[in-house]
Amino acid sequence: MTERVTSRDLARMTARTSLLQATWNYERQQGLGWAYCFAPVLERLYPDAAVRRARLAEHTGYFNTQPTLASVALGAVAHLEEQRAAGVLPEDDGILRVKSMLGSALAAVGDRLFWFTLRPFAALLGVWLALDRPWLGALALLACYNAGHLTLRVRGVRWGYALGPEVLGAGLRGNLERTMRTLAGLGSGLVGITVAALLVPRGDPQSLPFQATLAAGIALGMITAQRARPSSTQWALGAGALCLAAAWFR
Amino acid sequence: MNLQLLSTLLLAGVAALDATPVAQTFLSQPLVMGTLLGALWGDWRTAMQVAVVLQILAASTAPVGSRTPEDYAVGGVTGIGTALVLSAAHPFTIARDACAMIGVIVGLLAATLGASVLRWQRRRNEGLARWCEERLQMGDETALGAAQRAAVVLAFAAGVAYCAACMAAAVFGLQRLVTTESLWLARAWHLAQPLWLGLGLAQLLHAFVQRRLSRIAVFGGALIAAWLGYVVGTR
Repeated sequence: MTERVTSRDLARMTARTSLLQATWNYERQQGLGWAYCFAPVLERLYPDAAVRRARLAEHTGYFNTQPTLASVALGAVAHLEEQRAAGVLPEDDGILRVKSMLGSALAAVGDRLFWFTLRPFAALLGVWLALDRPWLGALALLACYNAGHLTLRVRGVRWGYALGPEVLGAGLRGNLERTMRTLAGLGSGLVGITVAALLVPRGDPQSLPFQATLAAGIALGMITAQRARPSSTQWALGAGALCLAAAWFR
Repeated sequence: MNLQLLSTLLLAGVAALDATPVAQTFLSQPLVMGTLLGALWGDWRTAMQVAVVLQILAASTAPVGSRTPEDYAVGGVTGIGTALVLSAAHPFTIARDACAMIGVIVGLLAATLGASVLRWQRRRNEGLARWCEERLQMGDETALGAAQRAAVVLAFAAGVAYCAACMAAAVFGLQRLVTTESLWLARAWHLAQPLWLGLGLAQLLHAFVQRRLSRIAVFGGALIAAWLGYVVGTR
């Protein structure tokens, strides 16, 4: 009789997800990190060292996805690996195909949610609050981002394991899409509030040159945001050099 | 001062770890690091001036796919740390504004050049991955854990070393400039600060709006309502 994945194995896998990207490299990307996270499940399912090593070697192959949502993929693949160990799922590359498919699908949702929505939203909330109270800003940024990040990282493994590859069905994907739309709407409003807080800090209007320069910065930013290159950092460096020159000749 | 400098460098190592290799909890963001460094050095004003600008600009950079973005984690600590070291010797507001200007420029440059350090680390990790696979084939399953530990130590050491090198170069190279040209730098700061903030806010607005009119309306409505709220609410 084959072993089944225990709650403790899932907890060990969850704890290891923090190191998923530790050995990120251009060849296998998260491959080695994935194998490290997955090792507790393989230890449980394959007591024979030779079989376990062969499976471990297979799991070191190329893998890349959004790091928070990788937990969901880990859980879903653990579910499949358990079936394979029990002889229900004979195909080896079936697991690899599902792993690759989950990686791409989770990256498509996760990159938009975490990098293009939650990250800017949390940063903006932090900056807005930090204009009055620095500690509050930093705490708000950490709390806002980690409410989503840590919840999904910790619970994602169990969700994935419980549902298998169907985890990314309409339920989870729909919830993530809705969260994204809500955050983008709130974020648009928060940009407006932050601009107002910069223009009229504590009710006292800033000087006219400050207001004009802020408006110029926003206009320049809207134009430069249409293209990926030069990056916003390069534009900021150019703007800084321009200001140094303008202040020198003033 | 030595203890504060050492703590700053250790924070750079922590930021380097949190940014990608370990946990990614956002502890490495310039605003959080700025808050910690402001408390450490006892100079909130300078730390937050630099941190807010770097945070707004960092928020729109994304580590998507195999792209190596600017390293605002170590860059942020470097910029804020440089501003704090320089301003520690200057009690006047004008000189501190000059230090903030230097801090942001150094932070941006360190973040940009830091991408090369990240790429170097990732290429080292390729070697580590090959070594690990060889060991696994030889039956050594502990190689996986050893590779993770080695990569974490490398990231921490690279973060500390890079921050130390950048801060040393910036502080020794620009200390005299802050003393002799503080008026010029402070004037540049008053021009650059709103320009940087506007540039970063526009990038964020662009990311949120996604060409949807309803979100532009939300932005406009929130701006007017908040402006009125700030003006009327404080009278």
